[in-house]
Amino acid sequence: MTHAFSPISVAAGFAALILSVPTASAQQTYERFGFAQTERGRYIAILGDCAACHTAPGGAPLAGGLRFETPVGAIISSNITPDRENGIGKMTLKEFDAAMREGIGQGGKRLYPAMPYPAFSNMTDEDIADLYAWIMAQQPAPAQINSNELKFPFDIRTGMIAWNMINFKPDAFKPDPAQSAEWNRGGYIVEGPGHCGACHSGKTITMGDKSSEHLTGAIIENWVAPNITGDAEAGLGAWEEQDIIAYLKTGANRFDIASGGMMDVIRHSSRMWTDGDLKAVAVYLKSQPGRSGKPLAAALPETDMRMQAGARIYKDRCSACHFDNGEGYPGLFPSLAGAGSVNAEEPTSVLHVVLAGSRAVATPAAPTGPAMPSLGWALSDNDIANVVTYVRNAFGNTAAPVSTEQVATARAALQP
Amino acid sequence: MKSRRMTRRGLLTTAAGAALLLGFGKVSAQESRPVWMPFDGFPPADSMAEGLQFLTPDEARTVGAIVERLIPADALSPSGKDAGCVDFIDRQLSGPYGVFSGQYREGPFQDGTPMQGDQSPLDARQRYRLGLAALDGWCRANAQAAFADLPEDRRDAILADLETGKITLDGIPAELFFEQVLANTMEGFFADPIHGGNKDMVSWRMLGFPGARYDYLDSLDIAGTPLRLDPIGLKGGPSWSADWVPPSAPARKG
Ligand code: HEC
Ligand code: HEC
Ligand code: HEC
Repeated sequence: MTHAFSPISVAAGFAALILSVPTASAQQTYERFGFAQTERGRYIAILGDCAACHTAPGGAPLAGGLRFETPVGAIISSNITPDRENGIGKMTLKEFDAAMREGIGQGGKRLYPAMPYPAFSNMTDEDIADLYAWIMAQQPAPAQINSNELKFPFDIRTGMIAWNMINFKPDAFKPDPAQSAEWNRGGYIVEGPGHCGACHSGKTITMGDKSSEHLTGAIIENWVAPNITGDAEAGLGAWEEQDIIAYLKTGANRFDIASGGMMDVIRHSSRMWTDGDLKAVAVYLKSQPGRSGKPLAAALPETDMRMQAGARIYKDRCSACHFDNGEGYPGLFPSLAGAGSVNAEEPTSVLHVVLAGSRAVATPAAPTGPAMPSLGWALSDNDIANVVTYVRNAFGNTAAPVSTEQVATARAALQP
Repeated sequence: MKSRRMTRRGLLTTAAGAALLLGFGKVSAQESRPVWMPFDGFPPADSMAEGLQFLTPDEARTVGAIVERLIPADALSPSGKDAGCVDFIDRQLSGPYGVFSGQYREGPFQDGTPMQGDQSPLDARQRYRLGLAALDGWCRANAQAAFADLPEDRRDAILADLETGKITLDGIPAELFFEQVLANTMEGFFADPIHGGNKDMVSWRMLGFPGARYDYLDSLDIAGTPLRLDPIGLKGGPSWSADWVPPSAPARKG
């Protein structure tokens, strides 16, 4: 049998195709919420970085399945497509809101704060509703997620009630009328959907955010998430607003190129923020006082034997890329002079890149994604201790020296 | 499979609380990316190998007796044997070079003109295995001792006769065997110490070669002045240790 295509049937088929892009349920959602609200919701999902955690590589968008390994088993992100069986298609707006802002998931199950609901609790009613409208308009995916593989007693979700009592105060972001609208917008993004403090704030012993160390830096996934307050020494003091904007938008600026967990934030979220939001976040971060309360150590003198050996190793193995003055080359080799990751209390990031190497983020605006080779095989633990001690105390940097034992520990933790 | 580690993102604290939490050591996750892998440093695979990899102890002894005559100890440097050329050759043979894996090896094999280069069907491992056995056989028959037990001047004479083909070896042309060992000895003497030869960078010190360095940007404007850089290999050198003292520069003539 042959099939003749008339121009009309082609056009009709084409129209059907276009109409079929939003699914039946999406169509209903558009009707229910309107296109404008759904579109606003799309942007909230970007601000909230939902895709970074809820889309597994190779998996359907938002179908979950990304594993968060912990020493007591894995937590697995949920399927948040509107699939009625395996997704959140049956969730009402009220239930969705409870998941987002109170950490209570489908069927009343207590969510682990791997889902950053403590930050999301700062979001407005309107943003939650918009986000809901957008999510309900997405393609349902049938992926069935076994929500956690935690071992007893961690698999008991009611444990989260105790955690929440200690660490969680559901609290909407309160605008500060003394500040500009721009500052308030930035604060809302940072504290709310952007959940920056989830990585950049110090943690209490039970892993809740410590309010006294708000945005003053923390260790996450074997990286330093540096102090991102306006603090002159420890924070982003040397970064102009423009530098923060370039970093969040492209992944690179004249000082630094993002790696570690920040890559996902930039790739799935901040590179798609509006210019106004980028500026607002920069203004807000620069305004944060960020006193971590820790006095700065004095730099080791050049005469220190570790500094001397470290300087020679730096010359032979690092200066080719980071240059003798430690300033690197914009967009290609990050500056070590004044870098938050280098001056951080813990040498985690520096040890990480020297031992394992690192590949920086690549974005359409800065597509190179330069990599630093692993030098772990070529440098002994003692060599690394000396060269890292050196970079932490040269080029105007000041940070505690690093011991051979610290290097050995980091090597054991990182080595696959 | 990609996953994100949740060390600090505040989870797992739940029921068991702080005390248990303190006991947790590391949290692990794998983030696999196709193009770039952590710890991909590409060190030579055999650079950490201990002990003989290909040669038998007897063969290694014969190779030592050859390389210490090809590069004898003198005022300029220690011998090829003391510089580690036997270790180098052994590791080289155990790796892909040993079977000439980078070359076309399918034949046909026929004698070519000298300009056409090496036409032998034998790979490097076979050249050593056959050549060393044949050399010892020849020495026992004609000098009543294994090559390694002969005095230096006798060994020198035999090596000279191998080079010119005056001696005939069983199973391998003597010149081919000689050329093979000579080439690998020079490689071992001058290559980076990571491969087992050039111990303490002796050949580089002899030549004043500063080793595996990236560039000399900061020396550009002192043209004509000897740099006297202590050599470093891929895995560093004495100048990386804290107690290293730069060799004092010889007094300069006015
Ligand atoms: C840092 C990672 C992370 C981010 C970012 C994140 N989530 Fe989650 N989310 C999770 C994890 C992990 C779970 C499962 C938690 C559990 O099983 O206790 C989860 C659970 C949920 C649930 C509950 C599902 C159910 O079946 O009860 C909803 C709804 C949800 N997320 C929506 C979102 C939305 C919308 C966003 C973006 C605004 C978002 N999440 C961003 C990690 C994340
Ligand atoms: C998943 C954890 C994570 C989250 C969430 C996160 N960051 Fe980061 N951030 C990091 C890490 C890790 C680094 C260090 C990257 C590096 O060393 O290249 C970093 C670096 C930065 C830097 C550069 C600091 C410096 O001194 O080099 C800025 C600015 C920044 N983040 C801003 C933000 C903002 C704004 C947010 C919220 C929208 C955010 N981050 C959310 C992990 C995170
Ligand atoms: C071949 C070039 C090259 C060499 C050699 C090199 N680096 Fe790097 N380095 C890079 C690149 C590219 C990055 C960015 C990678 C990233 O951000 O993931 C980087 C990143 C870093 C960072 C992280 C900076 C930040 O802002 O987070 C530190 C610290 C660092 N290098 C230290 C060193 C030290 C110490 C040495 C010598 C032992 C060294 N590097 C040798 C290319 C190099």
